[in-house]
Amino acid sequence: MLPSFDLYQPQSLGDALQALAKSDEMQPLAGATNLVPDLRGKRETCRSFISLKALDDLRYINREGDRVTVGACTTISDILRDSAMQTDAPALYAAAEIFAGTMVRNAATIGGNICCGSPSADTVPALLTLGAEVTLSSASGERTVPLDEFYVDYKKSVKRADELLTSVSWSIPAVNSVNLFYKLARRKGDAITVTGVAVMIAAQDGVCCSARIALGSVGPTVFRARAAEDLLTGKALDEDLIEQAARTAADQCAPIDDIRASAGYRLQTAFSLTRRLLTQAWKQLA
Amino acid sequence: MNQTDVSPGSTANVNLRQVGKNKPRNDAPTKVYGKAIYAGDFYMEGMLFAKVLHSDRASANIRGVDVSAARALAGVHSVLTAADLTACNSVMTDLPGQTGGGTKDTTQPILAADRVRFHGEPIALIAAETYELAQQALDLIVVDYEDTDGVYDPFDSQKPGAPIVYSDDNIVSAYKIRKGDTEKGFAEADYVLENTFSSQYQEQAFMEPEAAVAWVDEHEILNIRSSTQVVEHFRAVANALGIPHNKVHLQAPYIGGGFGGKEVMTIEVWLALLAMDTKRPVKLIQTRENSFLSHGPRHPFTFTHKTGVTKDGKITAMKIDITSDAGAYAKLSPYILLYATVGATGPYRVDNLWVDSTSAATNNLPACAFRGFGTMQANTACEAQMEELARLIGMDSLELRRKNFIQPGDPNTTGQIIRSSVWSDQCATQALAALGEQPGNSDHLVYGHGLACYQQSYGRIRWMKDTSESWVGLEMDGTLIVRCAVTDIGAGQMSALAQIAGEILGVPMDEVTVYFGDGHVNPLAGTSTASRALYMSGKATELAARAVRDNLLECMARHFEVSPGELDLADSKVFVLDNPERCMSTKEMVKVCAAEGVHRQNLAIFKAPPSEGLDPETGQGEVFPDFTYGAHAAQVSVDIDTGEVTVIKSVGAHDVGQAINLRAVEGQIEGSALMGQGFALSEELILEKGVLKNGSFSEYLMPTSEDVPEIQSIVLESRSGLGPFGSKGIGEPVFAPVAASIVNAVAAAIGTRIFDLPLTPEKVLAAITAKNES
Ligand SMILES: Cc1cc2nc3c(=O)[nH]c(=O)nc-3n(C[C@H](O)[C@H](O)[C@H](O)COP(=O)(O)OP(=O)(O)OC[C@H]3O[C@@H](n4cnc5c(N)ncnc54)[C@H](O)[C@@H]3O)c2cc1C
Repeated sequence: MLPSFDLYQPQSLGDALQALAKSDEMQPLAGATNLVPDLRGKRETCRSFISLKALDDLRYINREGDRVTVGACTTISDILRDSAMQTDAPALYAAAEIFAGTMVRNAATIGGNICCGSPSADTVPALLTLGAEVTLSSASGERTVPLDEFYVDYKKSVKRADELLTSVSWSIPAVNSVNLFYKLARRKGDAITVTGVAVMIAAQDGVCCSARIALGSVGPTVFRARAAEDLLTGKALDEDLIEQAARTAADQCAPIDDIRASAGYRLQTAFSLTRRLLTQAWKQLA
Repeated sequence: MNQTDVSPGSTANVNLRQVGKNKPRNDAPTKVYGKAIYAGDFYMEGMLFAKVLHSDRASANIRGVDVSAARALAGVHSVLTAADLTACNSVMTDLPGQTGGGTKDTTQPILAADRVRFHGEPIALIAAETYELAQQALDLIVVDYEDTDGVYDPFDSQKPGAPIVYSDDNIVSAYKIRKGDTEKGFAEADYVLENTFSSQYQEQAFMEPEAAVAWVDEHEILNIRSSTQVVEHFRAVANALGIPHNKVHLQAPYIGGGFGGKEVMTIEVWLALLAMDTKRPVKLIQTRENSFLSHGPRHPFTFTHKTGVTKDGKITAMKIDITSDAGAYAKLSPYILLYATVGATGPYRVDNLWVDSTSAATNNLPACAFRGFGTMQANTACEAQMEELARLIGMDSLELRRKNFIQPGDPNTTGQIIRSSVWSDQCATQALAALGEQPGNSDHLVYGHGLACYQQSYGRIRWMKDTSESWVGLEMDGTLIVRCAVTDIGAGQMSALAQIAGEILGVPMDEVTVYFGDGHVNPLAGTSTASRALYMSGKATELAARAVRDNLLECMARHFEVSPGELDLADSKVFVLDNPERCMSTKEMVKVCAAEGVHRQNLAIFKAPPSEGLDPETGQGEVFPDFTYGAHAAQVSVDIDTGEVTVIKSVGAHDVGQAINLRAVEGQIEGSALMGQGFALSEELILEKGVLKNGSFSEYLMPTSEDVPEIQSIVLESRSGLGPFGSKGIGEPVFAPVAASIVNAVAAAIGTRIFDLPLTPEKVLAAITAKNES
């Protein structure tokens, strides 16, 4: 049963930040697609929420030069409705396409996906390969943090309790790059990711000039496979190198066994999917 | 994109004007507009709300239940435990309304007294002013448990020294079939193949969880409006409470799905107890989480098949061992085991047959009825074995099937002679053809086609002497009423009766009013289970409508000065067949007939063919009225890097005898395509030492809208069934082959087989890896 809880609905970002500053107990509530199941399942103990529903100024997609900025309350469906996202953030668009199902996509926000801190949050591997930064706002000011430095442990981030995540931004990928995402799950709709892999490969003169690899659901947080990226940077990719990079990425995984899959399966697929996406990306660049 | 083909034979419909046509169901508008009232929608003045405390462990002694704090909470009107039910704490879970011999002990405590045997066993009932208060009270109850050793595997539970859950040996039921000479049969075989197949718990996951309202009315009658497939449980409620049968009024409004999960009583007795204790109406809608614990899911089964076959594909002998996990109470396990036993050889004739089957109790969830009822599990194993046999002898698997399909006039597993048409071959051929070309493999995707046939009974076990009654009457203005207590569980049970009566009496089906689901004001029709509702209630309605028609036409024959056979009824008119200008409106006809005192109503009873049971030593005898035959074919792709399976195309081809409502038939085929896909690939209740670990829709994985393949329905009509207009039962049959076809398609794609369901990506990848290594 859903327990009863208090819900405060501020009409402005300022009011929301004031309320967060004043209270130790209150937590933001956006689309509630994580919070409601967590409340029902007794995993969430908070009983006092600040709804972000009325904060329309947090729901936008802006483009300035090569920078894309997305407000925290932008829904997954909003992203899908913006067809330019297919080129401005190909992996993110791909993640949005296989995200949950239509009903949840209409409510789920990108800010909620980032802030829930789940290692299976599907927008996060994509955003990491885009080199995204998040903006955190509080009554006392604003700061920008690279998403790569946002998570510190399972469901733990550098965000303070009085802060809201207000936006996420990145640079539009260069024309000589390919950005891919694959979600492995037990079914096609409304499924929690078993292994998620995103890659961004840029090439110049037949050489990989930049590589980003991010892995989901294979550790306490989504993470960048830096050692694997380093192997690729500055080289012409081939089967062996890709295989080696995929192995290195898999070595960095620390998956767990749960009712969805074993750790061994996650490791095996983290390897094979990384290899597959790198191969596909390199082929497309050629 | 869904598509339906009807075989050309059937379009040559002789005289049918409504039956078999693509008519919207009568219940469609009220459901589409959200007006239909379900059990949980009822509101009554002064109503209380109930909650049930379910055990959170699977095997424990109860040293005490402290309800003092819960009772003391303001707004709480009743807290009942086993201690309050000293006079009556037992309810029967046997098949309702049967007149034949019962099985072993199928009683179960209403509330656990000194021991809990499974996760979810009810311990206390609460009625309070609100659900929130009831929940608060529930949280205040303290149960003093002492964990005991449980047994969680049906093979372990049969071993000496195993903890005893049921009776004195944990054996809930056992059957055997001894037919022909298996030793000789195996000696004649060129190949003998042995394989073991196992399948998992599956959850019905009906859209509407258990819901009911109960109250005692001004006549001291206990009323229960419940989401049930079986209004005849009023007897079991009365027996449990020790009150007369005619003092319990159980009604079923529209039901949001049952699939067998609402065949045995669920929450009815709990609400009856609370309503009687509080003297107020009491309502309960189970949460989804508790719904997982409030009815029996599909039985896990293990089948070991040993099959002898000649090199030209003739099966010479089969020896089959069957074990099902009954869980902690018997419920319908004995019957489900019987269905699996009779269905063990699928749609094939096997003259040398030896079957041993056992259902054993454990501390797992008590399993119960679920669409397919044991036959489906048996068929899934048998059709996997057929594929493996074909592979072994290097023969096309359809060819192998053709050599062994049972035919009209053949004896089946229990020696019953098949009387209706068997169109297995046509169905299989058409289903496979509809898949088209198999796509070529790509980098990481491999493709496969799979086929499965089946034989599934419709109608209840014959020694239960099943009957159904229906009343049909014409009003003075020419409108038509059907009264029949069939429960409408969402498959169009009500609407089909309108179509049948309307066809026979010439009234458009959407103008027919059907009163259903209430066996105290309508004639009793039996259960909406066992693919029997259309067969039995449809037949009773047909008989009643024909009797009324005969009376009317006899009178009209005098009026038109022709013989009754020269008249027909259609479009709310009576007319002379040769000269339709000579006609009269139904309204006028009724007036004329009424003036002459012609009986314009009829109450008919339809009796299924009875039998006297099986020989216990040989398992020979007549078990079912008849069988439905057909096939399902599937095209899948498998990702060899991840083991993910995608069903691309799913085709059901079935001889339904006669479609009464074509759209309803399609609905059954499409729904079962997905239910079978879930069983094959992703659905599984996961238990750890009896405790359910995934009782929610985020972890129990049914196919979603994103997982729907292209589905095609091919409907063949032999008109050879026992139902109205030659129809056969289809609710369960169309489901029976689906999972097997997908499992076979995966095996074809990856070139190796997985013997335990479901085929999770992880198992598929492991199989691929093992094959590559060997
Ligand atoms: C059926 C179903 C399917 C799902 N499928 C997927 C899927 O495929 N992929 C996937 O990744 N997820 C999935 N989810 C999970 C969920 O939908 C997503 O994580 C979603 O993005 C969460 O966003 P929300 O707006 O609903 O967050 P909420 O539930 O409102 O909040 C989640 C957490 O983030 C915090 N929060 C929210 N917004 C902010 C903010 N702006 N600043 C600071 N903190 C904030 C909240 O306090 C809370 O702790 C699914 C959920 C359901 C119910």
